[in-house]
Amino acid sequence: MHHAYIDKFAYQDSHIHRLDSRVKFIIVLIFTAVVISLPPTSLSVLTCYAIGPFTILVLGRVPLKFALKHILVVSPFVLVLALSCPLYDKTPFTAAFGPFTWQISLGWMRFFTILGKFIVTMSALIALVSTTRFNDLLTGLQRLGLPKLLIIQLGFLYRYIFILIDRAHHILRARAARKLRNLGTKAELKIAAAMLGSLLIRSLNTAEHVNIAMQARGFDRNWRTISKLQIRSSDLLFALTAAFFLLGLHFFVEPLLQ
Amino acid sequence: MHMANELLSVPVAAGTLAIAAASLGLICRKVRRIITSDKLALMGILGAFVFAAQMVNFQLPAMPGTSGHMVGAVLLAIILGPHAGAIVISSVVIIQCLIFQDGGLLALGCNLINMAIVPTYFGYFLYKMATTGPFSPLRIYTGVILACVVAIEAGAVLVPIQAAISRVLAVPFSTFLITMLGVHFLVGLVEGLVTVAVLGYLQQVRPDIVLDSLPGKVRLSRKAVLVTLIVFTVVIGAGLSLLASGLPDGLEWSYAERPDQPDFEPAVANQDHRIVAVDDFHSKYSPLPDYSIRTSKLGEPPQQEVETATGWTSFAGVVGSALTMVFIWLTARILQKKKAAKP
Repeated sequence: MHHAYIDKFAYQDSHIHRLDSRVKFIIVLIFTAVVISLPPTSLSVLTCYAIGPFTILVLGRVPLKFALKHILVVSPFVLVLALSCPLYDKTPFTAAFGPFTWQISLGWMRFFTILGKFIVTMSALIALVSTTRFNDLLTGLQRLGLPKLLIIQLGFLYRYIFILIDRAHHILRARAARKLRNLGTKAELKIAAAMLGSLLIRSLNTAEHVNIAMQARGFDRNWRTISKLQIRSSDLLFALTAAFFLLGLHFFVEPLLQ
Repeated sequence: MHMANELLSVPVAAGTLAIAAASLGLICRKVRRIITSDKLALMGILGAFVFAAQMVNFQLPAMPGTSGHMVGAVLLAIILGPHAGAIVISSVVIIQCLIFQDGGLLALGCNLINMAIVPTYFGYFLYKMATTGPFSPLRIYTGVILACVVAIEAGAVLVPIQAAISRVLAVPFSTFLITMLGVHFLVGLVEGLVTVAVLGYLQQVRPDIVLDSLPGKVRLSRKAVLVTLIVFTVVIGAGLSLLASGLPDGLEWSYAERPDQPDFEPAVANQDHRIVAVDDFHSKYSPLPDYSIRTSKLGEPPQQEVETATGWTSFAGVVGSALTMVFIWLTARILQKKKAAKP
């Protein structure tokens, strides 16, 4: 294994990590819905909402640099679409911040709001995933009613992603060592197809071996994990705090900042 | 084309989540009936394969410096069948959201519909439709490429629709739609070529895997690839320009007149006499002004009121795309030559 697990912080231990995965999942879902329903000119309220994921990241001892780097990696599509806002929406808008006021267009306000919302909701998602082990999250989702087949599928997928990505790296390294220049479209396509094909065949072989091993151990279509879920008082406390935070921001802070 | 939370409104996000959840539930029920328990490991590992396959990149033709990779929805649909394929690609989209944070949690419904459910079913049924009848390699080619292009386009069309219903973005719907269609046409074409090539490889090495879906021998030949490419360009160019007729495109929109807002002031206006003269010259002498055939003689300003048939718009689209391709190809050629000339 030559690369770090992308969710390596989920295997730490903290008060946030010990919370029930269902509670965390539902709170993140509600938080995201609340944040994206904010009006397109409410930039300052967003910073208040950002406190939530920030606190969880800090308490969960997830480095902020890691979270920010992740947000940067997934941002291009949103960035391009958000950048189209200032192009098309040129309604004048007066922005005020402290002693300064300046004239910008509504499009730029929308741009910054979309970007801000993106950062806030993404950090909430990162806070969820990097403080919850994936197996716990899956067990939680199963209890919340996701089909069993999908849970098994997701479990397998998660188990083998990193192994197959490693294999792909091996194949890529072999190609880089042998192919020193561009060989033209047809040859390039043929090589890529052979790489993908052999990767697929190796995956199929692995699947066959895994299946035999599973049958030998009595697999009966049930996904059994050692993760036990139970709602404790700390979970209730966390849910209450989150509810206070969201309700307080919505009913008391938002009217002030409009 | 991962949709983000921020580009959606809450009702749209909730609605698409509900639709995606319902259809996934149905598909799961269906799959449970047709798939035996020894296929479960296979489906999971093929999902992981989709991730690994995205790491294998290759040089794209005509565009030096860019590289493409494959998405795999149609390939999996062909190998596994549409239901199992849809489950595998859905799980890939969910993992992309949860582990790699690509696409938001609330936008998951949209992403599942756009990238997993619609492409696999569309792709599979198009492939089946195109390849019924006696076997011929050309039929497989066109079938696979058509399936990939249309399946990916069908998903891509939904993105601007969902964004337009949400009313978060300010981009005019037509501009967004045409951009998405154009970009994903290229994506689909690359995907189609790779899928054909991978199917050919599999048939050589492990014919048992593709026994049901590929009854004859497929070989990559340059002529067949060229023919398919040309046919597709003509078809899609004509289709796109029919769509584009009459609607000012994105850049024009920002400085030209806007029919819906008569008092809209152009953001860019240059009254310098040289520029006015060049504009005038351009409108008098360009052979296809505003993508339609000239109705006035060369040297006279174009008559605005004359209705031109939409067919001419399509013609202009095909000619324009052909010229653009020639231009891109020449530029790439010159760039490559320059690179080669340098010691």
